Amino acid sequence: MVELSGVTYRAGGALILDDVSVRFRPGKFNVILGPNGAGKSTVLRIATGLAKPNQGTVRYDGQPIESFNTTALARMRAVLSQHVELAFPLPAADVVMMGRYPHYDRVPTPQDRDIVRRALEAVGMTDKRDQPYPTLSGGEQQKIQLARVLAQIWNAEATVAARSPRYLFLDEPTSSLDVHYQIHLLDIARTLLDHDCTVVAILHDLNVALEYGQHFVLLERGRVALDAEDAGAITQGDIERIFQVRARRLDDGGRGFWRFSL
Amino acid sequence: MGEERRSFAGTHITLAILLIVAVAASAGVGAFTFTPAQMYRYIGQSAGFIPAAASDALGRNVFFQLRLPRVLMSALTGAVLGVSGTLMQGLFRNPIVEPGLAGTSAGAAFGAALVFVLGSGTMLAFTTVAGSLAVPLLAFGGAFAATMIVYRVASSFRKVNVFTLLLAGIAVNAVCGAGTGFLSYIARDPQARNITFWNLGTFTTANWRGVTLVAVCFIVCFVWTMRSGKALNALMLGEDEASLLGFDTDRLIVRLLVVNTVMVAAATAMVGVIAFVGLVVPHVLRMLRSSDYTFLIPASALLGALAMEVIDIVARVVIPPAELPVGIITAVVGAPVFLWILLREKRQGSEGFYG
Repeated sequence: MVELSGVTYRAGGALILDDVSVRFRPGKFNVILGPNGAGKSTVLRIATGLAKPNQGTVRYDGQPIESFNTTALARMRAVLSQHVELAFPLPAADVVMMGRYPHYDRVPTPQDRDIVRRALEAVGMTDKRDQPYPTLSGGEQQKIQLARVLAQIWNAEATVAARSPRYLFLDEPTSSLDVHYQIHLLDIARTLLDHDCTVVAILHDLNVALEYGQHFVLLERGRVALDAEDAGAITQGDIERIFQVRARRLDDGGRGFWRFSL
Repeated sequence: MGEERRSFAGTHITLAILLIVAVAASAGVGAFTFTPAQMYRYIGQSAGFIPAAASDALGRNVFFQLRLPRVLMSALTGAVLGVSGTLMQGLFRNPIVEPGLAGTSAGAAFGAALVFVLGSGTMLAFTTVAGSLAVPLLAFGGAFAATMIVYRVASSFRKVNVFTLLLAGIAVNAVCGAGTGFLSYIARDPQARNITFWNLGTFTTANWRGVTLVAVCFIVCFVWTMRSGKALNALMLGEDEASLLGFDTDRLIVRLLVVNTVMVAAATAMVGVIAFVGLVVPHVLRMLRSSDYTFLIPASALLGALAMEVIDIVARVVIPPAELPVGIITAVVGAPVFLWILLREKRQGSEGFYG
């Protein structure tokens, strides 16, 4: 379980986060929502240890984040960000192998290689493993990055009891992808929930977020505006107030979706 | 990847063998030609297992006091520039960086020229012990300041921009070049007066004191960077991604800057500015085998040394009895490669460089 309590963050005099307390639900697809500038990315940077809060604490399974060394942290949480470019022509499989760097010292073990193979398989990129990363399309590159973060937090232990909890953070991972890749990527992320993994995602598209999410944190100007256990708890009034839009709920054979206008 | 690692080792061994051949050839060729038999006799005589012959005294002196330091100095300088180019390309996450472009060499030359020119005749002259410490120290100071300025200017907003990098490099190179030019203009010492020494590099002045200095700096720095391969690979993804993979990115960057600057400063203070070697060597290796830094770091030391040794042989034999400054050869070979890389990257339209 990842928990932020009383987190305050300032940058250049501006108050970015103001006393934010969030408990991401273990084994669930947690979604952070909010308009631009609400502090979503900052919450993610602080939750993953990239940024240190001015006040407040971050705890992983009850332990303060500072009590983990950087390698231990890298073995239990990974982040898929928007778009990673490479200036050098490294083969796709080598990029995925980087996910195993926190696990081996100089030479990858057979197990590391096996995990890389399975991660490539999980994202359907096995046939592209030897292609130079820069020559892949944007969607393929993002799949390779997903394979890399999967490999990073891969639970290789044979028994369920021996497995430790893992955390996957997604920072608007689909913002540059077309709809096919978007659904594919989020579906893969969702399958991780069955493997002792907690997912925390910032998603751009409200309808997609409401469909995949199982727990919602809505941020507004650096504060938690709403903490909702399920999509139904988010009312039309909440959306209209927080996002400054007019929202209308439409029905598609029992599955509701939102339509927005100004 | 098991086969790959073995083939990395294969490339390393091949390069090492070629380097040994080139060093042996380089030791024999020049104004004095030494046959392998002669070289063996000289080495044997000074090691004591062959009785010293008076008739060999002159040849032995030339071989040990002029030829051997020169051969070693060019190999060391090549290794320094090759590794430096690899490290800087990793640090800047960009294939067009090298110590000559980023101001490192020019800064080092300026620092070294300060001691050579202003120190001459004082207790800081390079021929004294204090002077031989002051030269690398000031060269390091100049190189570090120049590199830091270029890195800071180019990497604002978490991203290295090629245009600002090149422009900052031009500016810093111009300032350091002007400083070095002024110093060599007012210098009385004929060596420091020699502006081509600073701009084009030469191994003619190599001596054992310089070889020792560069060798110590190189070996210490090389050992220190040997294990940075994985971290440099991760840094290709960006500073944040490398941190998320468990690497201390801030410490890595400082370590790379220091290591790189120490090596380049020592070499530049002794032989002058030699451009483009640091650019071409890693590039050839990337095309030949892999962009994996665990491969590139040792390989660029070997190929850098090999290339510099060959270039120095050419410099000695192409217009006898005179010598060509090595910087002319490296520029003739390196500049077109540099332009080619620029054009190719532009065609690929990778926004990481031009954004």
